[in-house]
Amino acid sequence: MRLPTLSRRFAAGLDTVTGTVPWTPASVPLEKASVALVTLAGVHLRSQPAFDMRNADGDASFRVIPGTVSPADLTITHDYYDHAAADQDVNVVFPLERLRELAAAGRIGGVAPRHVGAMGHIVDREERRLVAESAPAIARLLGEDGVDYVVLSPG
Amino acid sequence: MATVLVGVIREMLEKAPAPRNLFAPFRLGQIFGEPGADVQQRAVLMDALTAFAHVGTAGAILDLPYRWKRTVYRDPLARA
Repeated sequence: MRLPTLSRRFAAGLDTVTGTVPWTPASVPLEKASVALVTLAGVHLRSQPAFDMRNADGDASFRVIPGTVSPADLTITHDYYDHAAADQDVNVVFPLERLRELAAAGRIGGVAPRHVGAMGHIVDREERRLVAESAPAIARLLGEDGVDYVVLSPG
Repeated sequence: MATVLVGVIREMLEKAPAPRNLFAPFRLGQIFGEPGADVQQRAVLMDALTAFAHVGTAGAILDLPYRWKRTVYRDPLARA
């Protein structure tokens, strides 16, 4: 298939990130932790603006997704991977319903009130915007909600 | 805030590791499993969450032992 090949070529062209990998200790027991999802699979509310697929550098903006959202209210804008499976069941890239089930069963403390949909495949100018603006803004809003743990997933 | 990343392209995890990384040998666009496969999706998500207690080295990559449909997934909601 064309799209996985494209993404693997993208991975092959990536520079290795140098420097120390950041580390925040996991100090809260999972059963008491508030958990948020951050996906780069292009997930957003149908009512929100789509990601900009015309910019060759990608789109470093992000969309806030309420923890109570119905999957029927979500859609995906992302031309760089095959999201046919996620169009059928968004949980394959954004497992919010599974997270709610784990919370209902007491396996985690709770589902965060706000989650984040963004895009992968971001380079150059948009990559700089992601690092300087979007990533700190995402961390800030999750921090405001008292989120303990974040599960990140690319497409 | 502690983070864990679940990915399906190992080279990306190696080149730009998050603090904790899980490699799922799945298809791109199906990181947590198949559509409608709730147990598989829950199992992978729970693996990611348990990494918070088990991973103590920044940048470490855990390889999930799954083989897509050939694995019988253990439901984290099932009583032991």
